Amino acid sequence: MSPLTQKSVADSFSDFVESEEKDFTLRDGSRIAVVGGGPAGSFFTYFLLKMAQAIDLDIEVDIFEPRSFKYCGPAGCNHCGGIVSESLVQTLAAEGIVLPRSVVQRGVESYVVHMDVGDVAIESPVHERRIAALYRGNGPREGCDVELESFDNYLQEMVKGLGANIVPQLITGVENHDDRPFLKYGDGKGERYDLVAMAAGVNSNLINMLGELPGDYEPPKTTRGYICEFRSTKEEIMRILGRAVHVFLLDIPRFEFAAIIPKGQFVTVVMVGEDLDQELVHTFLNDPVVRRTFPTGATPCVCSCSPLINLGARKRPYGDRVVMIGDSGITRLYKDGIGAAFRTGKAAATSAIFHGVSAKDFEKHYWPTCRNIVNDNRVGKVMFATNAIMKNSRITRKAMLRMAQKEQQKDQARPHMSTLLWNMFTGSAPYVEMFRGTLHPGFIYNLMLSLGAALVPGKKAVQPRKKVA
Amino acid sequence: MTSEKDLSGSASEIPERITPSFRPAQIEKTAPCQVGCANCGDIRGWIGMVAQRHKTGLAREEALEKAWRLLADVNPFPATLGRICPHPCESHCNRSELDEPLAINAMERFLGDFGIQNALPLPRARGIEAKEWVGVVGAGPSGLSFAYQMSRRGYRVTVYDAREKAGGMLRFGVPDFRLPQEVLDAEIQKILDLGVELKLNTRVGTDISLEEVRSRHSSLYLGIGAQMGRGLPVPGGEGSSVWTGSDYLARINSGEPVDIGSRVIVVGGGNSAVDAARCARRGGAEVTILYRRSRDEMPAISHEVEDALEEGIELVLLASPLSIQRDAQGNLTGVEVQRMSLGPPDSSGRRRPLPVEGSEFTLEATAVIAAIAQIPVLDGLESLDHEGDWLVPNADGSTGGDVQVGGDAVHAGIAGEAIIQGRLAAEALHARLRGIEPGKVEATGLPEIRPDKVRFASKVGSEAVHTPMRPAGDRIAAGMAEVSGTITENQFLAEVERCYSCGTCSGCEQCFMYCTSGCFTRLEEPRPGMYFTLNLDQCKECGKCIEVCPGGFLQATAPSV
Repeated sequence: MSPLTQKSVADSFSDFVESEEKDFTLRDGSRIAVVGGGPAGSFFTYFLLKMAQAIDLDIEVDIFEPRSFKYCGPAGCNHCGGIVSESLVQTLAAEGIVLPRSVVQRGVESYVVHMDVGDVAIESPVHERRIAALYRGNGPREGCDVELESFDNYLQEMVKGLGANIVPQLITGVENHDDRPFLKYGDGKGERYDLVAMAAGVNSNLINMLGELPGDYEPPKTTRGYICEFRSTKEEIMRILGRAVHVFLLDIPRFEFAAIIPKGQFVTVVMVGEDLDQELVHTFLNDPVVRRTFPTGATPCVCSCSPLINLGARKRPYGDRVVMIGDSGITRLYKDGIGAAFRTGKAAATSAIFHGVSAKDFEKHYWPTCRNIVNDNRVGKVMFATNAIMKNSRITRKAMLRMAQKEQQKDQARPHMSTLLWNMFTGSAPYVEMFRGTLHPGFIYNLMLSLGAALVPGKKAVQPRKKVA
Repeated sequence: MTSEKDLSGSASEIPERITPSFRPAQIEKTAPCQVGCANCGDIRGWIGMVAQRHKTGLAREEALEKAWRLLADVNPFPATLGRICPHPCESHCNRSELDEPLAINAMERFLGDFGIQNALPLPRARGIEAKEWVGVVGAGPSGLSFAYQMSRRGYRVTVYDAREKAGGMLRFGVPDFRLPQEVLDAEIQKILDLGVELKLNTRVGTDISLEEVRSRHSSLYLGIGAQMGRGLPVPGGEGSSVWTGSDYLARINSGEPVDIGSRVIVVGGGNSAVDAARCARRGGAEVTILYRRSRDEMPAISHEVEDALEEGIELVLLASPLSIQRDAQGNLTGVEVQRMSLGPPDSSGRRRPLPVEGSEFTLEATAVIAAIAQIPVLDGLESLDHEGDWLVPNADGSTGGDVQVGGDAVHAGIAGEAIIQGRLAAEALHARLRGIEPGKVEATGLPEIRPDKVRFASKVGSEAVHTPMRPAGDRIAAGMAEVSGTITENQFLAEVERCYSCGTCSGCEQCFMYCTSGCFTRLEEPRPGMYFTLNLDQCKECGKCIEVCPGGFLQATAPSV
């Protein structure tokens, strides 16, 4: 195709008037391309094929994924800490996606918040709200000898079973050829499709290379994370970390957030921050608070990465015959990216099958789901900002610790602080729900009480409960 | 577990640098196909030229032409070798680990035919006007390869050959049903088109003396081959109806009638034996090949043996002739054969055949063709033969002084090797005459890339294309008509896609796409093998680029501290 015969992508995607006159429904024989074979791509495909089947629509779905998630190490990994909330696991089960034990390492029962003023273990506040750990790829570089199954690969095999084609081909761009999105392949060739679902995440440059897109459509803002894997023995990891995810709120300069997650004979260290470097990672890992929570003799695996984390949403993650899902589109702030992939994937599929694939259709039937996430993220931002302020002061840290400790000790009917922390770390509940919790008089009263106590010097700290030895 | 007491002194010191370093470097490796054979030029290169045409912006036709030129650069006989070469390159192909090796030989044949059909001229080297006049003895693959490489570099070249046509064993040793004469003619003509003079019916040593040829030329290349078949050293082996393989094939290939009767025994296990047997079968005879070792040790190309069996030729293994039996009039009536068993390996590495006492039996025959070995004809060239040994040249073909030698005259081998030797000799001579450093000859010194570094998941499994064959049942009736065909252009274009470009960059873009630190930058004018520049300033050393690289071009370097 010569450039002269191509309309610019912007011309066509924003052309709402024209779109009214065209047929934007999927028909028998329609060809759909899914760019990216991670959870968002697989969830979208899953629902697309299931719904198409339900209304006897015969469509063809090609998932473009050049990488194999069966590889150990970064080649087969989609870079995240690998924590999913139990509520998501159950939602998936309700949709017919039952994750086997080899994929989900259940059994995380609590969070332990570590601060210089002390630690507090937060048990799952409601019984169902447990959490699970998983590996996105086939585990760390040296982990090939360990029996675990890649979450992303499991989902991919599942949609393959439903009839999706997995094409090991890299996509390097999307153009518009004769009112259809045209996918450019890594090898220089390409093909036209009736619908393209972009599920390329933020850890590929594709999302930044889509060229001119409609006015309020822009790549997500991102921040860096740092993930590295350590190896020890199962027994040692159990002894030191127990069945808990360990979260650190420390007053180290430039430090924002970190977690240590036990996964069988591996330990995943996740750090998030704008300004992460080797020095900060080193300072963190050698902090006394961290040192006492680290398995003896844990050796660093030759596996680490600095993935990008989606911070801000695309304003309009869709156009005519193009829809962005998962991290490429709208996702939840810091947490529960897989949950967001699930929700956006399902909503986009619903719109495509039952309503249409024009920008207008997506506006009406896909955007509401995205908007809910966006709005919730606004609240989340406020909460993370508040949390950042609180963690930076020794007094507020003490107050948080005291309040959570008291709640955990007394099995209080309304464990406000614990629920809040739990939800913030797991992403189990919408931020709006968490925020509402903080407005509860009981929360404010107890926080004030704890703040007061924290200000009184020399007062005996409440002994934390010993749960797992 | 949440109190400090329980956890005292648990962790060991966290090292200063906990991130393992995976800084990438772009390091080209030698592709295994090239290790298998150096005669198809840069195999990975010419495949990539076509496979990556969408990325380099070449039109299909243009890409095919460039690919042909890359191939013809080292081998002026692609259409010929595409038909007869046992293709050791393919057995080295990394893709065999996934499904099937690339059909390099079939692709070579396609490109060769493409060059003939499109009358593509052989590529000349630029800018040299040489005064030297070099002579070549023997217009076989080795001599013509030498002539081509010298002529294209601007030298005047004259080739002498004893026969009435050029081609050597390619013409007189390989039957038409494997290599049609028109194909060979067309490729030889391309060499002659460069200005190479051909003096046929001129045997150096008898028709013209060696001294005269030496004095005429500033340098001489001897590619005289091994034209003389060894006779059968058994009682009755001399006399009528016993042929050497080379004599028999030369007559058949010259169109001369040969009376071999209805029951032919061919002795030997090489390509000449199989070719002779297949010719005899086409003449209407019942044919048996007698070979003293087992099938595994047969030096003939395996699929040629298969083809022969399909054509109804009988194979008697572990059997060796003891004597030729004749009646009172001296007519050949049969062959007395002895069974053999395999002993320990001999100097060739093959297991030595040992006679089995008392196992003698007789096979009826009307003629015997002994295709057991061929030796050079040295009439008039004795002065070059040191103490009964044929010349032992250096790696570049030089023997001291102004004479170089290569091809079957030195060591009987496949045509591809003869072509390589002719080229290497020419490159060395050119360097010597021009006083320049010999160009990078064969070994690039780069490490070979093994299958464990190839990321097979980056391509879907697919079957290799196969050279189309005439059905076995039709072949005998078709006489000397070619038994195999050339793959189509579409098949060729599909086959190149199967290549992983082992050890170099195919421009798959994965490193570029997955590096979120911007280390890779697209080249404005990419070429096969190089599509990106690398800048490690922002490298996070995760190693993802290295691990997604399909052909193992990116590799980890030493850690930065």
